[in-house]
Amino acid sequence: MSNEIVDFLNKEVPTSNAKLLEVEAGDVPVVVEASSIKDVCFALRDSSDFKFEVLQVISGVDYEDRIEVNYMLASFTKNNEVIVKVNLPKENKDSIPEIESVCDVWKSANFLERETYDMNGVKFLNHPDFRRILCPDDWEGHPLRKDYVVQEKYLDMVVNPEHKINQGDFDFMTKAKLESDEPKKITGSWKGHVSDEMADALKRKMDSLAAAKSE
Amino acid sequence: MEFVNESQEKIKSDLLTVNMGPQHPATHGVLRVEIKTDSEIVSEAIPHIGYLHRCMEKHSESIDYRGVIPFCDRMDYLAAMSMEWGYVQAVEKLLETEVPERAEYIRVIIAELQRIASHLLFYGVYAIDLGAFSPFLYAFQDREKILRIFEEVSGARLLYNYFWIGGVWNDLTDDHLRRIGSFCDEMEENMKKYHNLVGMNKIFRDRTSHVGVVNEKMAYEYGATGAVLRGSGAKWDLRKNRTYGIYDKFDFDVPVGTGEMGTQGDCWDRYYVRVREVFESIKIIRQALEGIEAGPIMGKVPKIIKPPKGEVYVRTECPRGELGYHLVSDGTAKPYRLKVKSSCFTHVSMLPELGKGQMIADFVATIGSIDIVLGEVDR
Repeated sequence: MSNEIVDFLNKEVPTSNAKLLEVEAGDVPVVVEASSIKDVCFALRDSSDFKFEVLQVISGVDYEDRIEVNYMLASFTKNNEVIVKVNLPKENKDSIPEIESVCDVWKSANFLERETYDMNGVKFLNHPDFRRILCPDDWEGHPLRKDYVVQEKYLDMVVNPEHKINQGDFDFMTKAKLESDEPKKITGSWKGHVSDEMADALKRKMDSLAAAKSE
Repeated sequence: MEFVNESQEKIKSDLLTVNMGPQHPATHGVLRVEIKTDSEIVSEAIPHIGYLHRCMEKHSESIDYRGVIPFCDRMDYLAAMSMEWGYVQAVEKLLETEVPERAEYIRVIIAELQRIASHLLFYGVYAIDLGAFSPFLYAFQDREKILRIFEEVSGARLLYNYFWIGGVWNDLTDDHLRRIGSFCDEMEENMKKYHNLVGMNKIFRDRTSHVGVVNEKMAYEYGATGAVLRGSGAKWDLRKNRTYGIYDKFDFDVPVGTGEMGTQGDCWDRYYVRVREVFESIKIIRQALEGIEAGPIMGKVPKIIKPPKGEVYVRTECPRGELGYHLVSDGTAKPYRLKVKSSCFTHVSMLPELGKGQMIADFVATIGSIDIVLGEVDR
C-alpha cells in the first residue's frame, strides 16, 4: 500500500521526493519534502485510486534537531490510511519552523494546525485564523517541546505556589513504605518531592533492614 | 444594520456578542462559544476551548507504558473503557503481543456495555438540553446498572484502569455474564420505550429535524466520525470496515441516517443513529456471551515494557467517534510521544459553520447532538 503511494507521489509531484521510512516496528510512514506538502495533499485527496478525503490528525513530534509533522490521512470510501511525514529542521531550540498550511485541502486542518502550533511550535503559513487554541493567547513557550520549562509566573500569579502543594500526596508512597514490613515490594510510578524528614526516615529504615538481613 | 421604528426614526443596531459558557449547562462541560447575534439569529460562532487542558500528552511522556492507561480514562470520562482499549491496542501493536481469546471477548462485552452507557447519557442529557427532564432519570437508572457491573469487575465506577496491555485486569465470573445477559433483555425493552418517549415526541421532532444539517461532503471535509458521520448517510464503522479485536466474528448492522423526520444528517438523524447503535451493541453482547469460553485473560507481556523503535497509529471506534493514538517509541521504557486524535475536537471545529444562521435555541440543540465531552477535546 505505502509503496504504491510513494510511486504515485513521485510521478504526480516530482518535487515531493517521497520515500518510505525504514523502521524496526509499527507503521511505515511516507516521508515527503516540506516545501511540497500542499501539492502532495491535493494530489492524495484528488487521486481516484486513493481518495484520502479525510485528514484525521496532525501530530507534531519534537526531536533535538528537527520537528516532525505527521499528517494522518484516511479514506472512508477506499478504506485506506497513510501517515505522511515531514521533517522541519530547527536552527536552535527556540526557533519556530515554518510550513505551508493545508487548510484549503481539508477544513479540519484549521483546528489541528492551531493545536500543533500551540503545542509544538510550528508556524503554518497562510492559515486563516492563526492563534493558540488550548493555552491562553499570552502563554509563553510550546509545552510539547522536549526542552519546555514551566513558566514561574503567569500574569503576576505564581505557578504552583508552595502553600497550594499538598505534601501528603507527595509523601504517600514513602509513608506506605515506612509502614510496611517489606518496603521493597511497594512500587509505583509516582515520584514526587518527598520531604527531607520522610526521605531520611526511609533511608534509616532501609539501612537497618539491610543490616538485619546481612546478620 | 438599520431599522425603522413606528415614528419613522432610523435606529441603528449592532451585532450583540454573547458568551455561551464556560459555565453553561447546555455546553456539556467547560466549552465557551462566543456568539455574535443579530437578534435571535447566530451570525458568527467562535468556540473557545482549553479550559480543561490537563497536559495528558505531556504527562504520558514522563511515565512508563502501563502508567498511561489511567490518563486515558480521564480524557473521555464517560467512555473510559473505550479510551483504554485504543491505547492498549497501540502498545500491543508495537510489542506484537498476542491477546488471549477470552480477554478479547471480555473486551468486546465491556466496550459495548460502555457504548450503551455513553449513549444513554447522551439520550438523557440531550433531552435536558431540549427541555425534557424526566428522560434523564430513566437513562440514569439503566446506566447505573452498567456502572454497578463495572464497579464489581474493575473496582471503580467511572475511571477503571481495567484494560491492561496484553489482556484485562480481572476476569468476569459466570454470575457477571448471566447478569449482563439479563441486563441486555431489560435494556432492549427499555430502549424501545425511551425512544418512543423522546424520539417520537412532536416537540422533540420539531426541535431537531432540519436543524444542524451535516451532509456527507461536509463530514468528510471536517473529518467527522462516529454518529455525526453516520447520521449524514455514510456507512462507515471501524468495527465493520477495518475490523480490530474480534469484531469480525459478530454479525451486526451499521445504522445510518436516512432523513426520516427531516433532512438527512440533521440532529434527529444523529440522535436516532445512537439509539439504534444501542440495539446493535446489545446484539453484539449477546453473540459474545454465547461465544465466550474459559481460558487465560492475560497474554505474555515483559515485566518492563520496552517496545522497539517505531511508531504506530491505531484507530478504534469509540461511542463518540473514531479515536486514534499516534504512539512514538524510542526504545526506552517511556513513550516518546503520544498524540491523541479526539473525535470531539474535530466535531467542535464544525461549530462555526453549523452555527451560522441558526437560532440560538437551535444552536443549543446542535451542540447537544454532536455529543462532545470536553475532557476529550482539551485532553
